[in-house]
Amino acid sequence: MKRVHMRSLRILQCAAVLAAGLAVSQEASADIYNDGKVLLTGGVFTVDGAGGGGAVPWATISGYETRDGINGSAAFTYVNLPALQVSFYGVNVGFWDRFELSYVDSRLSLNLPNLQTVALVASLADLDIGTEPWNSTLGMQTFGAKLRLFGDAVYTSDSWIPQVSIGGLYKKDRNEDLVKTLGGYKTKDYEIYLAATKIFFPISTLVNVTARYTSANEDGLTGFGACKNNGLGTGDCDNDRELRWEVSIAHLVAKNTAIGGEWQQHGNNTGGQSVNINGLNLTPIAGALANLGIDLGSALKQKNEGDWFDLFMAYAPNKNISFVVAYLMFGNISVAPDQNGFYFSTHLTF
Amino acid sequence: MKRMKSLLVSAVAGATLLAGTQIAQAGESKTNPIMGIPSAALARFGGEYGVHNWVESLFYYIMLDNRINYIFKEFGNVDRQIALNTQLETMVLGGPNEYQGASMSAAHADLGITMTQFNAVVEAAYNACERNNIAYYTCNHLIAALAPFTRVIVTK
Ligand code: HEM
Repeated sequence: MKRVHMRSLRILQCAAVLAAGLAVSQEASADIYNDGKVLLTGGVFTVDGAGGGGAVPWATISGYETRDGINGSAAFTYVNLPALQVSFYGVNVGFWDRFELSYVDSRLSLNLPNLQTVALVASLADLDIGTEPWNSTLGMQTFGAKLRLFGDAVYTSDSWIPQVSIGGLYKKDRNEDLVKTLGGYKTKDYEIYLAATKIFFPISTLVNVTARYTSANEDGLTGFGACKNNGLGTGDCDNDRELRWEVSIAHLVAKNTAIGGEWQQHGNNTGGQSVNINGLNLTPIAGALANLGIDLGSALKQKNEGDWFDLFMAYAPNKNISFVVAYLMFGNISVAPDQNGFYFSTHLTF
Repeated sequence: MKRMKSLLVSAVAGATLLAGTQIAQAGESKTNPIMGIPSAALARFGGEYGVHNWVESLFYYIMLDNRINYIFKEFGNVDRQIALNTQLETMVLGGPNEYQGASMSAAHADLGITMTQFNAVVEAAYNACERNNIAYYTCNHLIAALAPFTRVIVTK
């Protein structure tokens, strides 16, 4: 069963890459290939793969195609926070400014001394908790699709009606053991979002509001939902999805440069829990360590998950490439407090 | 001799303008952008004279763009369009309505204009603003004022 599932995911993944490649090779034979959108109006590449800002998917369809054709893009994003680094590699394809398919592979490496201590202890105790001493990587694959429902974000300047799209994301964590260790319940799940985007030319500003139906922890990188530690190993798990809000505001200072900010509401599924080792309450281990003179009790308690905020600058010298730099304020992530840092993204459009 | 020639040119231009208003459905009215057009917009464009200069630049860039220039060569009349666009843009920026050409739907109905071609004209519009040192923010007021015509101009 699991095998079959993996296989179908592989095929989907191949299809996404193939579709992107196809869009590129069409360049020569014109007609269906299209790059007729005005600079930056397709948005950039989110960490979810969907076209949008840095973290928030917009209602715009990614790529520079208009309703007359197809366009594809690829992106690389690197996030550097004190306790972790994340790389995102992704592709997406926009069809007739109507429909979008996307795929992203993300890798988050944790370098947490407190988690590493647990890893050391666990390896001594011969427990497989998905984290090895000095090497804890959380991988995730995200498959996405987005459909524009109605509206035109750019040209309907005489109406308040925005462009509205609906999108779906399917996310699958690679390191299931580590997700569980960090208190997450599901290691694969879907998210659904509705996004509304509009450019207000008189103030040179794009505004986007997105509502996302999800149970994700840190965008899914640390799983979905939570298992409360009851110390019995059976767990009290739930995966309650909820509606969370996201806002992007991008002010265009020139036709190729935008500055702005984003806010993404997060849940707090795992906050207050201590790290979960094979369903066992950590207390005994913490106790054992305490005997050795190491106090782990509070250091291994999951912090309350914070909402994500960022301030960004996007620069598109032409229709083939754009760059985004951002300052991220991500609050607490798992057992690491106050994660603020930098984001750098390159978006190639064909 | 030179004077005669220029008189002749303006007479012909006047005649085509008249003919235009007679055959096609005449006139066009101001658009209604949701956040309005600031009263200073026309002045920031350099008044009607500035708008005229901008339209000259606009057509300079349009005629350089191989994605669209052939349409204007085949179906357009650049001198007439510069005159009429000056009137139209002056109006939508808050000036008097002295537009003597055809309605946007009548003028473009048979051209089968695509979104890609429309966007190419918008890119030319931004280039023209840069060329004429019109601030980006001011340029966006004109884009906001013209954007509602997309509905009738883009027919494909
Ligand atoms: C908001 C954008 C546009 C505005 C404000 C605009 C304005 C005008 C005006 C004022 C005229 C003169 C009408 C007359 O002769 O009475 C005209 C004609 C014309 N326009 Fe546009 N236009 C726009 C977009 C376009 C686009 C995107 C194309 C093609 C790519 C285009 C191609 C033409 C052509 C070929 C004519 C001449 C038609 C004829 O004389 O039969 N226009 N336009």
